[in-house]
Amino acid sequence: MNVGLEHYLTVSAMLFCLGLLGVILRRNVLVIYMSLELMLNAANLALVAFSRFNDNLTGQTMVFFIITVAAAEVAVGLALIVALYRKRQSAHVEDLTSLKL
Amino acid sequence: MNASLIVLELAVVCLGLILLAQDLYTPAKERRTLGYGAVLGVAVILLYSFFAFDGNETLYAFGNAYVLDGLALWFKRFFLLAALLVLIMAAEYSDRFEAGQSEFFALILFALAGMMFAASANDFTLLFVSLELITVTFYVLVSFLRRRVESLEAGVKYLILGALSSGFLVYGIALVFGVSGTLNFNELADKLTNHPALGHKSLLFTGLLLVFVGLGFKMAIVPFQIWAPDVYQGSPTPTTAFLSVGSKAAGVVLLMRLLGTAIPDLAFKLEKLLMTMAGLSILYGSLCAVPQRNLKRLLGYSSIASAGYLLLGFAVMNKSGSSAVLYYLAGYLFTALAAFSVIAIVVREAGAEDIDSLAGLAHRSPLLAATLTLAMVSLAGIPPLAGFFGKFLLLKAVVAEGIRWSAYYWLFAVAVAGVLVSLYYYFNVVRAIYWSKNVSDFKPISLSLPTKFALAICIVGMLWLGLYPGNALELAVEAVKSLKLV
Repeated sequence: MNVGLEHYLTVSAMLFCLGLLGVILRRNVLVIYMSLELMLNAANLALVAFSRFNDNLTGQTMVFFIITVAAAEVAVGLALIVALYRKRQSAHVEDLTSLKL
Repeated sequence: MNASLIVLELAVVCLGLILLAQDLYTPAKERRTLGYGAVLGVAVILLYSFFAFDGNETLYAFGNAYVLDGLALWFKRFFLLAALLVLIMAAEYSDRFEAGQSEFFALILFALAGMMFAASANDFTLLFVSLELITVTFYVLVSFLRRRVESLEAGVKYLILGALSSGFLVYGIALVFGVSGTLNFNELADKLTNHPALGHKSLLFTGLLLVFVGLGFKMAIVPFQIWAPDVYQGSPTPTTAFLSVGSKAAGVVLLMRLLGTAIPDLAFKLEKLLMTMAGLSILYGSLCAVPQRNLKRLLGYSSIASAGYLLLGFAVMNKSGSSAVLYYLAGYLFTALAAFSVIAIVVREAGAEDIDSLAGLAHRSPLLAATLTLAMVSLAGIPPLAGFFGKFLLLKAVVAEGIRWSAYYWLFAVAVAGVLVSLYYYFNVVRAIYWSKNVSDFKPISLSLPTKFALAICIVGMLWLGLYPGNALELAVEAVKSLKLV
């Protein structure tokens, strides 16, 4: 079988939807955060595939920027989640209720 | 390559780094002076921007990814002024942090650098990187009071929703790149003009919508507004102020570039969407603000309504709308920062963020009471203050489009209804200041000199924009000249 652009795009779209579902359905902040990273990587896969099949390297450079930014985001995000866990002893979104009307 | 164009951003980043280094040699008690040092530094950079560039010509750098034109310069000066006032507020506020005062100032400067890069973004790469620079710095700034669970919770909520919106943004960029083969705004516009068939591809349109989600999150427009009230309430007040002015304006400038430079031929397809979202944001913000008792939460909802008014200027898709957006933003800068400066001080004195903690403010400090009253009157859009003229220009642009399509009259009606509802809750605040029955505390509030200076700038700005709109409007019209709109 010849693997073409559409196959890569299908996988990427599936990854994106899985990530989105994870964000919506899961209740643990860490798992939600993992799903968010999955969404970013879905975009990376799409960019690389488009780059490869259109002979255009711009998309590949964009991926480098995305990976770098995602690393920074994870560093800050995990620190935040750990700080909240220490305070609350829980990483569940149902417990994030101190800010309400 | 024309790297000298980013001298302003470089100066801001260097200032932040110097601040971090200087922190090592400064005893803990004197860290506040570092904040005032940062204020001076930003003031110098702001002045320098007037000598270095005049914005009459459009200059490019880094393979056309970075553009310096009138619009970019207008926004850079806007962000510098906002950061200046926020830094004064932060220096005043810094004794409430147990540690990391200098980091707080430095992070504000790094976010400022991100906003200034956003003002010059002419490429999806720079759009993404500058937006993330702003967002990631704000994750830290929002949760800076890490002993307070509200602050941490606001930080995590902002983190999850911010990362979600950047996920949409990145996927949108990937789709746009896949269809058009370019990430540059100018090249994208050229391709759309030369190959009109490209504009009909649904994949491209989906991509643009996803990018719009990312920008809508920054601006806090319905339906991407859920984070705003919680984050506004939980963050330290200087962060809230910077979030409401700087972060929102960064979304505005990027949307303006996207619609005006990258997809001017496709922008009309977004017209209905923008109109709906503008109307919904105005209604949602105004109606939900009515029952609020927490001052910062109230302003959070009011900022959603403001985002709706700003979208009005985008929905009409012409230059008079865009210049009205700039004018409204300028007024919003002085108004919102005045309100938050006063709230930061009142909250410190009272220890609560309720509207009731404003009771007796008129006796305790007439200056604070007058400033907050002016800010509320300006936010409500009553002449002769800045907020009135901004809303007037936006509504004028909407009515002018009504001849083309009568739906704009409905949008106008919705906007006016929003203004009427907002009168109620803004005057609730004014009533608490002057006519509160149960005043327990008559102790006068003493203000430091820099705070008085910041309040004076805000008051002068509100009055000047309201009473002499001519000059400022000319500047705004000049700034939007480079956009490819009608």
